[in-house]
Amino acid sequence: MNPAVGIAAFAAVSLATAVIGFYGLRISRTTGDFYVASRTVRPWWNASAIGGEYLSAASFLGVAGLILLSGTDALWFPVGYTAGYLMLLLFVAAPLRRSGAYTIPDFTEARLDSRVVRRVTSVVVVMVGWLYIVPQLHGAALAIRATTGLPAWVGQVAVVAVVCVTVVSGGMRSITFVQAFQYWLKLTALAVPILFILFVLADSGTPAVAAASTNPTGAAPAGLYQNISLLVALLFGTLGLPHVLVRFYTNPDGQSARRTTLIVLGLLSVFYLFPTAYGLVGRMFAPHLAQSGQADALVLLLPGELVGGTAGDLLSALVVAGAFAAFLSTTSGLVVSLAGVISQDLFGGSVKGFRRAAVISAVVPLGIASMTGSLALAGSVGLVFAFTASTICPVLLLGIWWRGLTDAGAIAGMVTGAVLCGGAMVAGAVLGAGGTPTWLAQPAAWTVPAAFAVMVLASRATRDRVPRTITRLMTRLHTPERPLATER
Amino acid sequence: MTRVRVTAPRRVDQSRAAAGSGTAGGSALPGGRPPADAREAAEESDAGQVFVRSLIRSQLRLAVVVAAGFLLILAAFPLMLGIVPGLADSTLAGLPFDWVLLGAGIYPVIGLSAWLFIRTAARNEARYRDLLGDK
Repeated sequence: MNPAVGIAAFAAVSLATAVIGFYGLRISRTTGDFYVASRTVRPWWNASAIGGEYLSAASFLGVAGLILLSGTDALWFPVGYTAGYLMLLLFVAAPLRRSGAYTIPDFTEARLDSRVVRRVTSVVVVMVGWLYIVPQLHGAALAIRATTGLPAWVGQVAVVAVVCVTVVSGGMRSITFVQAFQYWLKLTALAVPILFILFVLADSGTPAVAAASTNPTGAAPAGLYQNISLLVALLFGTLGLPHVLVRFYTNPDGQSARRTTLIVLGLLSVFYLFPTAYGLVGRMFAPHLAQSGQADALVLLLPGELVGGTAGDLLSALVVAGAFAAFLSTTSGLVVSLAGVISQDLFGGSVKGFRRAAVISAVVPLGIASMTGSLALAGSVGLVFAFTASTICPVLLLGIWWRGLTDAGAIAGMVTGAVLCGGAMVAGAVLGAGGTPTWLAQPAAWTVPAAFAVMVLASRATRDRVPRTITRLMTRLHTPERPLATER
Repeated sequence: MTRVRVTAPRRVDQSRAAAGSGTAGGSALPGGRPPADAREAAEESDAGQVFVRSLIRSQLRLAVVVAAGFLLILAAFPLMLGIVPGLADSTLAGLPFDWVLLGAGIYPVIGLSAWLFIRTAARNEARYRDLLGDK
């Protein structure tokens, strides 16, 4: 591919992001603006922004790559990513909005009336955020290398720099506009090239090289345990993602939080048809990309591979732009929510503290990413979901629905989940992809139940520590807002 | 801007304020609401709590039923492909059937479950409002 195409596409996306960010600067004034966009964002904007933020490198590049490698087994990834939002809608969306808290640590502290719980939750949230940013940067490195031939670190540094500039200049208000724009950019960037490719293939009557069911690498198909464990991680991990949760505070009330989630589900469903199509077309018409170890770059390479010429270059530029939109939007969403947590705990919640925290939140994962190699993108993001499902998910679900949760139980459960799942991740990294047994490679199926069990048992053992404010809190979480707040 | 001020959290939870926590703009569970009024008093009375508990139970039951139903359908998809002979190898509009089913067929189920949930959850809340005599 022509390197200038990749560089031009990245420059254009960065510029558009920065311009929208600066536009947002003029309308964000107070600390409240910075954190949650003052809760006046319209449902469609908000839903597009949620979609834009959620669809990360794993969705844009990783899903298609994994489908190319593992076929129908990998279809559980997009299904799980979408169904995770259904779980979020069912169990978390409205009560969390009604809690009125800004961040997950705010929620756990208020629910359990404990500063220690807040600290533990903050540490877990920051770990999740950093773990999640690292694959985005790996994706950026991969995209820069595959499309421009520049060294990998250029992509990582560029993404972190653009994110820092946008977040520091405008907080969540401008981020909301940026993210909403990026959802539609990502959708277009995937949809137009694949439709064009399908048209060209149908028009020229090119015969398929291989059947969809043929595995290009000859790797063994995933077992039942792997698929179930993956689904547990994705279904329960989504509702603990810090950058997803903070979005719900921008809805005016609980019922609109639900409506927003419904729109998000529609947006995600439409989006995931396209990575699936890329994977399928890749399997049938370009299976050699899997053998050369470039599966994660499938989406970026397919237009050049199957269309070629100037049209191929233009389509490639569009896909590269979409890929960078994915890295930028997810990273900036995570940086905003991490900065919210770090600045409140370390810098007293001022706007200046928020800016300082934003830079810290973005630079630390840059260091981690430059020291580690890239695994399959969708796989490494899947592990982050397992981690949130084993830590934040139990404390949210039990906190919202069970009066008996205590501060001691919450801490015991989160620590158990973090140690078990974190240990499995470290062991998997040490043993390498070949030497890791399945139960360690996909730990969610046992770490999530363990975290829940410890949380419930420890709460039962310390039942005298149930906060006195519980009646009032449960009423607030679950009853509809008074008409004043719902009339718009 | 007025609406922003009305809906933004401004009051720090009293228990936290008493405990001496001073996080600016921090968690404010009871925030964003006018001070205790007749309705809040009704909700915190013993009779009001009966309604609240029943609302929470029906919302939880609804969420669990929808989630279980969805998971059953999700599990039925691969089961069906495994059990019905020849189904996985058949094609639909030129595409392999198992790909169509798993790659596209599940999304309408997700959307339908979500829509059903939202409708029923709103209905539960409307019933609660009626019980509390609040329009």
